[in-house]
Amino acid sequence: MRLSLFKNKYPPSEITDIPELDVTPVMNMFIILIPFLVSMAIFTQLSIIDFSLPPNVGPSMNSSKTKPVPKLTVRVGDDYLGIVIGDQLLDSLPVANNIYPFNKLSKRLLFHKQDLNYNEELIIASKDNIPIKTVVRTMDLSREAGFEKIGLSSAADEAGDVE
Amino acid sequence: MSFLKLDEIKEQGIFRPQLTSLIDVMTILLVFLIKSFSVEGNLVSLPENMELPLSTSPKPPRQVYTLDITQEAVLAEDTRIVSLEQIGEGDSLLIEPLYEWMKREHVKLDSAGNTELLIQCDRDIMFSYIKKVMYSCSKAGFSDFCVLVIREEN
Repeated sequence: MRLSLFKNKYPPSEITDIPELDVTPVMNMFIILIPFLVSMAIFTQLSIIDFSLPPNVGPSMNSSKTKPVPKLTVRVGDDYLGIVIGDQLLDSLPVANNIYPFNKLSKRLLFHKQDLNYNEELIIASKDNIPIKTVVRTMDLSREAGFEKIGLSSAADEAGDVE
Repeated sequence: MSFLKLDEIKEQGIFRPQLTSLIDVMTILLVFLIKSFSVEGNLVSLPENMELPLSTSPKPPRQVYTLDITQEAVLAEDTRIVSLEQIGEGDSLLIEPLYEWMKREHVKLDSAGNTELLIQCDRDIMFSYIKKVMYSCSKAGFSDFCVLVIREEN
């Protein structure tokens, strides 16, 4: 019995009249499949950032009788970025020509987290004239520095004072 | 692959277009579309003329009550509640129309046990507006907040 593969007496390289595949059904399938996939595709990936408000801004006032523990706070202003704990200003990173020193802030946050062994909520206190994109960027850096819980607050004029 | 000359085509009396390159393009397109395919679809719908802030946050959105802050106004369920101009004029942190609306919504949502609030805001909105909106919503009973962002790769 001869295999059907070898029934031609010429090798495949010498066969000039190769039958072409009919790809029309494949094209038809693509034409149906592609509009369906386009309708179900997501081109912009959305995410969320969770945050909380300070306890005295929430629906009920802070009823805890224990003395509040000073929280590490990042003050976001158009003049400088500050890292504050209680009334103590730990770092002050000046903002020059509207360029925020986010790289330095990231490094300093990592340093203070390890130095103070701080595992509590980090508060981001922003000035009124700061766009939300800058606040979101600061939240990102805080999360990347290892702060799981982030609170959002408003910064007063003086460093360390949170409204 | 055989390229027939015009004379040969005329002789044979047939014309078969070359679909191979088109199939290649379609295959690449198909792979790309399958990669970005989502069964769930978008859980949130964005209003027009709104550019969300960029973030590296990996958390996917949840279906919760949503408040939109555009460059012009604060919207809830496609209803304009208060304009940013009105918010800017007031000295108080509390926005009365928003507070009343959110209080009603909170009563409805509280029975379902989901009082989380998703804020969708334009990336250039000043924090002073966000602060007032958050304050009014928290006074109305909302305690958990999240902000919607566009995910960017690190």
